[in-house]
Amino acid sequence: MSLPKDLSTLSNAELMRLEREIARNHQGHFPYLAVTWAFANLAVWLSLWPLVLFGVIPLWVGFIISTLNIMLCYLPSHEAQHDIIGRPGSKWRWLNETVGHLSTIPLTLPYRIAKLTHLEHHKHANHDELDPDASSAASGPLACVWNTIQSGQPRAKGGFNAYGEALARIGRPEVVLDGVIYNIVFYGTLSALAWNGFALEAALLWWLPRWIALIYIRYYLSWAPHHPATETGRYRDTRSFRSIVGNLGSMGMQYHIVHHLHPRIPLYRTPMAYWEMKPILEARGCDVHEL
Amino acid sequence: MIQVIKTVFYFGPLLFAFGFIVPLVSQLVQLAGWTPPLGLSPLIFGLIVGGTYGVIGQIRGRWI
Repeated sequence: MSLPKDLSTLSNAELMRLEREIARNHQGHFPYLAVTWAFANLAVWLSLWPLVLFGVIPLWVGFIISTLNIMLCYLPSHEAQHDIIGRPGSKWRWLNETVGHLSTIPLTLPYRIAKLTHLEHHKHANHDELDPDASSAASGPLACVWNTIQSGQPRAKGGFNAYGEALARIGRPEVVLDGVIYNIVFYGTLSALAWNGFALEAALLWWLPRWIALIYIRYYLSWAPHHPATETGRYRDTRSFRSIVGNLGSMGMQYHIVHHLHPRIPLYRTPMAYWEMKPILEARGCDVHEL
Repeated sequence: MIQVIKTVFYFGPLLFAFGFIVPLVSQLVQLAGWTPPLGLSPLIFGLIVGGTYGVIGQIRGRWI
């Protein structure tokens, strides 16, 4: 759609109407790529175990592929968290929930925890106490990496450890049990493999790739789009940015501002929506100067 | 049940050390073909290194 040349004369209501019109054109498209990606990614990751343990491929190859798998496993679940694959009551709802539950298994992140805390993040982005991802804020890229490592320590306040508090706050403390089960399975599997002579395989197929993936995911999904994370509000809590590894290398997060404004737009359509919406975002005072 | 889970997770660093770090260190020593000092076996060496690190992690609540 074409926008008026001068948006400065439009009221907020008129800007909102135009913004929603653009968003509507990009919503409701079935994300074939995300669904295929979810199952293919998990299948490859699972297949690495027998391939490496039986010596079909070397461990270092398995390590590289596993790291990529775990880095890529979050986004299909993210589409499911926003009901993009299938809305409640729709014919594809079962697929939405299946993708949500299965895709983040390598990351050891239960779907219900991911979904509930992520929706809280959308409601309260950058709020010091209410945003479960507020601990992602850091002064720069290296500080973000260090921050993620620190947040993952046993008795740290941030990272996944902050999710329990968020779940209690919204009245869903029982969902923490999902995390308990995932952790028992994760650490139990690592220990069982390690004591049976496969410690290095466990470390390089799951433990270390998961850490690398956590750093990467937190960097591009949480830190970069919200940096400097000092402001709240619909048009100020997220920005667009230019990634040195491009849009694919940053998992499409350069256009994350569109996702925060209209979470039902599938990931693959956010760049198109962004370029159509950009004059409106500028008129709204969004931080879109990098891209 | 919840108390049991909380207790298990409270001792997470120690469990991780003895469940994972000890055999990992032991297998790394063997893989490197390195002989630990004082005639220690790779497993005993792993227990000393991993166990110590686990105690530190348990007390500090962080690994690094």
